[in-house]
Amino acid sequence: MPDDERLMAYVDGELTASERATFEQRLDADPELRRRLAGQQELRRRLAAAFDPILEEPPPLRLTLAAQAANAPGRSRRPVQWAAMAACLALGVIVGRTALPQRGPLTTQAGALVAQGRLASALDQRLASEGGAIRAGVSFRSADGRYCRTFQSEPDKLAGVACRQPRGWVASTVTAWSAPAQQAGYRTAGSETPPPVLAAVDAMIAGEPLDAAGERAARDRHWRP
Amino acid sequence: MDETLGSRRFMHEQSLVLESTQRQIVELLPRLRRLARVLAGQPADADDLVQVTVERALGARSQWRPGTRLDSWMFRIMKNAWIDETRARRRRGAVLAPEEEGDKVGDAGARAVEARLEAAEVERAIARLPQEQRLAVALVLVEGLSYKEAAGVLEVPEGTLTSRLVRGRQALLAELGGANAG
Repeated sequence: MPDDERLMAYVDGELTASERATFEQRLDADPELRRRLAGQQELRRRLAAAFDPILEEPPPLRLTLAAQAANAPGRSRRPVQWAAMAACLALGVIVGRTALPQRGPLTTQAGALVAQGRLASALDQRLASEGGAIRAGVSFRSADGRYCRTFQSEPDKLAGVACRQPRGWVASTVTAWSAPAQQAGYRTAGSETPPPVLAAVDAMIAGEPLDAAGERAARDRHWRP
Repeated sequence: MDETLGSRRFMHEQSLVLESTQRQIVELLPRLRRLARVLAGQPADADDLVQVTVERALGARSQWRPGTRLDSWMFRIMKNAWIDETRARRRRGAVLAPEEEGDKVGDAGARAVEARLEAAEVERAIARLPQEQRLAVALVLVEGLSYKEAAGVLEVPEGTLTSRLVRGRQALLAELGGANAG
């Protein structure tokens, strides 16, 4: 084994016990070899310092959702294109257009946007696995302990995040949305949820999204913290 | 009747296997993200690579043999996805040069700034390595795989892995270590 490789194998813990002992005798006798060993150890230390902090970061929600996809794909698939999705609308536009007659999906109460009608009952009752024209996507706990859910409404052409408060489902993010063209039978909450909504969830979530059992249990407790 | 029950039980068992695989994949996400960052450099590109890896792994999960290591299997999928991605980028003529990192420093404390600058220097040095050496360095020096495991992930003989590792290290030391190079 050439010198470089032996030094490397020593640093990487790839030598047998007897090879190690022989190498350590050489180290004792050779200051130049010790200097090179220190260089190799410093390199390992710097690599760990640069990349190990990533292990402490919470993974972005889209990756957790991709891993939890209930109906995993049979083959690789590109992410859904959101080109058709309009830019995030100002809340006032949606409220102004849909809530004034008090029959839209959202109404204003003391400055908050509260779900009503079909949207409110979908958020109360519907499990993510159930689908439908008004769908719940990801359910999670926010940092202040409330249950929150993402939703997409085909009839209202909007998507968003709402958290359960005593007065109802209060929406914090709402965006214009229309259902993407059907992808050969494969859907995940992650690929369905518009990026602005996913970004809002990432900013609000404490821990990981609820799995199917957690979602059902929370619903059965009426989303009370 | 029996047949229906049996097939239902089979479906149920299959869905339990899927759930437990998915839980293990969620647990692996931090390590997948670390490896992807070494390979892809930019955080957004790295997370895209993780997403493709997870989707491919779930799509091909019947090929994973329970009892073997899920991490090595997924690292291999990531390696292949990364090679596909770099080929596609080369076809599009995209530049692979790493971006300067000065804007990431922000107003963190002096110690954090120093650590961030040092990390950026390491990231730039890694980004200059040829792809094969970068993969070897990432798996052994960052992920901590044995030579045998890393050679398995890369699907090359162990001797090929170690020679890539020697060259990758020499290049990094020359770039980073200055006087300590050796």
